[in-house]
Amino acid sequence: MITAHARRNVWLVARREFAERTKARAFVFSTLLLAGLAVVVALIPLGVRLADKATILRVAVTSTEPGLAATAIGTMDGFLNAQTSSGTGGSKVFDFVPYPDETTAAQSVRDGKLVAAMSIDRGADGGLGFTVFNIGALGSDKAQLLQVGAFAVGVLDWTRSNPGATRPFVTPSFSVVDAGSSAGNAGQPAFDAADYASRRIVGIVFVVLSFLTLVFYGLWVASGVVAEKSSRVMEMLISAATASQLVVGKIVGIGLAGLSQVTLVLIPAVLTMLLSGRIGDALLGPDAGTGATLSALSPGLLVAFMVYFVLGFGLYAALYAGAGSLLSREEDLQTVALPLSIPAVAGYFPAVLALSGSTSGVIRIASYIPLWSPFVMMSRLAVGKVEPWELALSIGLLVVTVPLVTLLAIRVYRAGVVMYGQPPSPRTFWRAIRGG
Amino acid sequence: MSLVVDHLHKRFGSVVALDGLTFEVAPGQVFGFLGANGAGKTTTMRITLGVLEADGGAVTWQGTESHRLPRSTFGYLPEERGLYPRMRVLDQLRFFAGLHGVPPDRARREALAWLRRFRAEDLANRRAEQLSKGNQQKIQFIAAVLHEPPVLLMDEPFTGLDPVNVMLLREAFLELRDRGRTVVFSTHQMEVAEALCESVAIVDRGRMVVGGPLRDVRRSTGRRMVRISVAGDHRLPWLAAVPGAMVIQAGMDRSTIELEPGLEPDAVLAAAVTSGARVLHFEVADPSLEQVFIDHVGRPADEEVHLLPVAEGAA
Repeated sequence: MITAHARRNVWLVARREFAERTKARAFVFSTLLLAGLAVVVALIPLGVRLADKATILRVAVTSTEPGLAATAIGTMDGFLNAQTSSGTGGSKVFDFVPYPDETTAAQSVRDGKLVAAMSIDRGADGGLGFTVFNIGALGSDKAQLLQVGAFAVGVLDWTRSNPGATRPFVTPSFSVVDAGSSAGNAGQPAFDAADYASRRIVGIVFVVLSFLTLVFYGLWVASGVVAEKSSRVMEMLISAATASQLVVGKIVGIGLAGLSQVTLVLIPAVLTMLLSGRIGDALLGPDAGTGATLSALSPGLLVAFMVYFVLGFGLYAALYAGAGSLLSREEDLQTVALPLSIPAVAGYFPAVLALSGSTSGVIRIASYIPLWSPFVMMSRLAVGKVEPWELALSIGLLVVTVPLVTLLAIRVYRAGVVMYGQPPSPRTFWRAIRGG
Repeated sequence: MSLVVDHLHKRFGSVVALDGLTFEVAPGQVFGFLGANGAGKTTTMRITLGVLEADGGAVTWQGTESHRLPRSTFGYLPEERGLYPRMRVLDQLRFFAGLHGVPPDRARREALAWLRRFRAEDLANRRAEQLSKGNQQKIQFIAAVLHEPPVLLMDEPFTGLDPVNVMLLREAFLELRDRGRTVVFSTHQMEVAEALCESVAIVDRGRMVVGGPLRDVRRSTGRRMVRISVAGDHRLPWLAAVPGAMVIQAGMDRSTIELEPGLEPDAVLAAAVTSGARVLHFEVADPSLEQVFIDHVGRPADEEVHLLPVAEGAA
């Protein structure tokens, strides 16, 4: 039963916490620092794009017709590599390698030795057919370049193979197909390489952001509780409001302060990402592939981040509030800060692993466990291999866990705030929970 | 309908804090809760506030168990002083009043009125960390009374205050009593209790030793005293001629003499006059609360206070 009086007290406590946090100099500094850091991270895609210009892509070329592969290599090498060198200063884009047959070439692509394999055959009408196998590492911009190269090969082949022009020119067919991965998930839609890079960057940003904010704001909660105890203002508080009003008010107030900071940090970062696309276009010329820098930052992902931030913060804040209430002095906080961050760190590793697209059993399970799902599921969502039921399970478990842990934290808090001097130990914890 | 503390029991681990403590405070009274450190005063107050749970027994106010009452029933001044260090005084007062349901504008008005009467208007916009301990204490007192609670629980409210502030606080206590509030305060300073309380309870190790109206408590030991002040020789050499009279507290100005049963006060006065001493002051008195405390508990409420010259209580 939540009375109007209780709601008002929660709001009063929350408002006080929010004002105290956001007015503190530390808040201003940390916001500036994090915003700067986020802008730097947001500039990474631009850097990747710059670096990408210097990357040489190895492409296998095979053909069913003897000599055709060698001719094509000569043509494309001269045509494509010269083409691009005129623009940005002579860097080679493709390294064409002759391969004896299509099967070995495709296998090399799957093994990651090659970016793509191009197979050329001649149709009944005398026209050439180009098939490019890849597993997602070939960006759509580079595929377009290959298509231009294929066209050139086709034109030269036509002029050479029938000097009298008795056969009409047939536009070479060109298709990009998924070579399938050696892990055997062929048939799944492969990401475009640029898109995949973008998803990983967005994923890293969210994982790091979730991890930092939950641990950081969780510590705010713990230190707030300890400060109230050590300054002894707690005695007045606990006689004016109930433990549940104080705990919930504190979590809400600090949560809102944290959310404000995250928003203040994300806005310049998102703007930078948007602008860096433009800057990149201006510096490097329009580029179809990397326009997708922000493509992975969908509104859905932002919503998911907010949901996981709010629920995850509720969970961590409750834990930190309970732990903080058992300490008497602010110095004690340093000794428990590390053990308190262990659950978060334990979730950080599977989250980083999930960024590689791995969906092993451990990562799947970690993405359902409430303490870890805010990192691991965010990571999985960013790289994009999540079933709807998994998302529902993960959020559902959080929704159930948060109030339970909060109730437990209130119990600990009620007993803890009037205990002074006892060093924090698992026994103290247990007594506090049991004793209410 | 009064505040009833009924057979309270509380243990902390192996330490017994309250051992069946029982007493009753009539509404509209100033009640002194007397005991040394560790007697169980703070624990009793915390149980009354509902912050701690008793192992046994109950505290009721007007027939309802105190932990079922709204928190605003009580105004609490904790023994351990503390405010939010970086918050401004007026903001803190409005915050605490707000938790008790006082609307912001009324809280502000009342807070400023209280600050004025404590001669502390200039503190309104200071941060708590800039205040002296005595001033912080005044602010906390105001925080405890702003919501006009029917019952005030004050844990050692006079400790650490200078004489001027002690006087201001005493006046405030009496005014609150006149407005019908019930004021319970703990102290180990007996002379303050003597000056303010209509009733007292002396507690020791979680148990009630003696309690009731102040006068009854002071007479509870059966001892009789006279206080005498003579010109010249304050060592009272003539007293040797009065068997059964013994100086229990010698002073330069005034001495307290205890009389054995059967010895009448007149005998002391007669001996003084006979010896030719010029008597400036003579009164028949009950033992001081301090003396009563020592008699019942076996030691003073506070050793340090005991060793200092004890201020005279009005008879």
